[in-house]
Amino acid sequence: MAYITEYQYYENTGNPNTLDENWGSYQYVSLNDIVNNFILMYVGNDKLINNVERFNIIFHAKRAIQELNYDSMKEIKILELEVCDTLRYVLPHDYVNWVRISLYKNGTLLPLTENIQTNWSDAYLQDNNCRILFDHEGKILKPSTSTVDLQRITGGKKSIYLNEQSQYNGQEGYFYNGLWYFEYPVGARYGLNTETANANPTFKINKKSGVINFSSDMAGELCVLEYVSDGMENGVDSEISVNKLFEEFIYSYMKFVILSSKYGIQEYIVNRARKEKSALLRNAKLRLSNIHPGRLLMNLRGQNKWIK
Amino acid sequence: MKRLIGMINTVRATVLSIANKNNYGYITPNDFNLYAKQAQLDIFEDYFYQYNSQIVKQNARVSGSGYADILKGIEEVVDSFSSTKSLVTSGLNTYDMPEDYYLMNKINYYPLFITQGAVTVVSQDRIVDQNADFIADGVQPGMLVVSVTNPLDPSVIVTGDSAFVVSVDGINQLTISSNIGIVQDQGYAILSTSRITEVERVSQNKIFYLNSSPLTQPNSTFPAYVLGGANSTVYGNTITVYPNTLTTEGTIIGQYIRYPKDPNWTYFNIITGGEPSFDETAPDYQDFELPDSDQTNLVNKILQYAGVSIRETALAQFGKMEEKESDQQEG
Repeated sequence: MAYITEYQYYENTGNPNTLDENWGSYQYVSLNDIVNNFILMYVGNDKLINNVERFNIIFHAKRAIQELNYDSMKEIKILELEVCDTLRYVLPHDYVNWVRISLYKNGTLLPLTENIQTNWSDAYLQDNNCRILFDHEGKILKPSTSTVDLQRITGGKKSIYLNEQSQYNGQEGYFYNGLWYFEYPVGARYGLNTETANANPTFKINKKSGVINFSSDMAGELCVLEYVSDGMENGVDSEISVNKLFEEFIYSYMKFVILSSKYGIQEYIVNRARKEKSALLRNAKLRLSNIHPGRLLMNLRGQNKWIK
Repeated sequence: MKRLIGMINTVRATVLSIANKNNYGYITPNDFNLYAKQAQLDIFEDYFYQYNSQIVKQNARVSGSGYADILKGIEEVVDSFSSTKSLVTSGLNTYDMPEDYYLMNKINYYPLFITQGAVTVVSQDRIVDQNADFIADGVQPGMLVVSVTNPLDPSVIVTGDSAFVVSVDGINQLTISSNIGIVQDQGYAILSTSRITEVERVSQNKIFYLNSSPLTQPNSTFPAYVLGGANSTVYGNTITVYPNTLTTEGTIIGQYIRYPKDPNWTYFNIITGGEPSFDETAPDYQDFELPDSDQTNLVNKILQYAGVSIRETALAQFGKMEEKESDQQEG
C-alpha cells in the first residue's frame, strides 16, 4: 500500500465509495505488497530462492495469512443477527471458527454457553418393528425434522442447564403437614454441576449444515457472534492484508515452505529457515499480545479486593 | 554501450581486406548481407548463454564486481534490444505477440484505462484528436499512450508502440515522449501508470489447476497468461490472458527482447560493373545493432562463412581460431 497524505487518510480521498477505508490502514500490509517485496528481496539468481513461479509465492503467502488468522492474529469479526422462531443462526459466509456467542438483551451482552449435549439430530423413518424405511431407489426415508429438533423448536425439549427449559423448572411440589415438598432441593444447591449451572440460552453448532442451533428461549432475541475468518476477503486479492507485526514472519514462512519443497536444497538451509520462521512467529505473537503496563496495572488492582 | 556509426561498412572493409587476396575472395554485397545477418544472430544468441554462464560464475563466487562485473555489460547489451509494446487483441482475452519478439520478458496489465480515440491530425510527437477532451478525461503527464486498433476503422495498421504523455497542450492535443508511428485515423489509448501488475506466464499444463484453485485463481490483481501457437503469418505467437475479463486492447503491455534488425549494407554503383560504393542514406540501410566491442567477433564469424563459401579452408580456420581465442579470453 502506497503512503498517503494526512488529508487522504482522514478524508478518505481515493476511496469514493467508503467513508472510512483509509482509517487504520497503516497497520496493515497488503498481499500485493507482500508478494512484490518477496519477489524483490528473496527471489533471484544470487538468492537462495530462484526459478519460482509467482503463483507459488501467492499460494504460500495466502496460506501464511490463513494460518495466522486462525489463531495468532486476533482479527475478530463480529456479526449481530436476530434469531427467529427457527432458532437457527446461519454462519457468516467467511466463518471459520467462533470465539464467543452472546445474547444481546437489555443493553447487555450475555455470553452464551455451548451445550455439552447435542440439540439437533438427523432422523430416519422406521416402521413399528424399528426397521428403517427406504424409497424405491434404495435411499433412506427421512422425516423433515427429528424429534430432538422439533421439541427444541417448539419448546418441549428439556435442558440440563438451569434455564427456562430446565427439567426442574416449574415442577410442582406437594403439600403435607403444612409444608411444601419438591423432588429436588430448593435454595442452596450443594453439589451443583457448575458446568451446566447457567440460566442463559444454550447453543450447539452444526458445522456441516453451517448453522448455530439455539435453545428455544433464544427465539426473537439478538445474537452477537464473534468469529474468526481466514482473511481471504471472499477471494478479492486486492483487499487481503495482514498486520505489519506479522510481515517478517510471513516472509520467513514463505521462504521456509518454498525451500523445504524445492529439490536439492541442503537440509541445514531448510532448518535455518524453519528456526527463523518459528522465532519470528513467537516475536509477532508477543508483540500482538499487547502486554503493556497500563493494562497490567488495571488487572493487578483486583488482587487486593476482599472476597466476602 | 556505444555503437560505431556505419560499423557495417568497417566490418565489410575488414572482411574484404582479409579475404580478398588477389581478388579471389571477393564477397558480393548480397552475400555479405546474408553472412552479416547470420553472424549477428549467432552473436546475439550467444549473449544469453554468456549471461547464464556468468550467473553461474557469480554464484560460485568466481566473478568480481566493479570493472570485473561482466554480467552488467552483458545485461546492458541485451537491454539495448528491449522494446515495450501494447499487445493487439485477436479476440476476447487472446492477444498477439509482437512479430519481432525473441524473448518475452514481462507482460504487464494496466488496469486504469483513461480514454481512447483516433488521431484526426497527424503531428510529430503529438496526439491530436479533435473529438477528444483530454482535460475532462483527466489525462496527465506521465501517463502511457499506446497505439491500438481504431474501432471505427480497423484497417489502420496497429504498431502497438508506446510513449508517455509529456504535456497536455489543450483539450484535444497532447505532447508525447516519442513518435509512436501514428498515422491518420490511428487508434490510441491512454492509461494510468499506477497499480500496474505483472501478468505471469504459466505453462499450458498448469493453467487448468491454476484456474481451479481458489487460492491461485488468476484475477485482476494477479493475472496470468499461457503462450499459444501462431495466429497468422503477420504476428508471432498468441497468448491467452486470465481472468478472461481482461479483454481491453491497450491494457496488456509487453516488455520484450526483440531480434536485431537484419543488417543491410546498401550501395550505389558509380561505374557499372565497378566496385559498389557504400550508401548509408538508402531507406533500407541497416547497420549492425551490436556494440562496437563485437566488431571483431562479427569479422571472425563472417570470415568463417565466407571461407566455407569460397572453399578456402585457411580463411575459415583463421576465423574460427580467432573466435576461439576471443572466447578463451572472455572465459
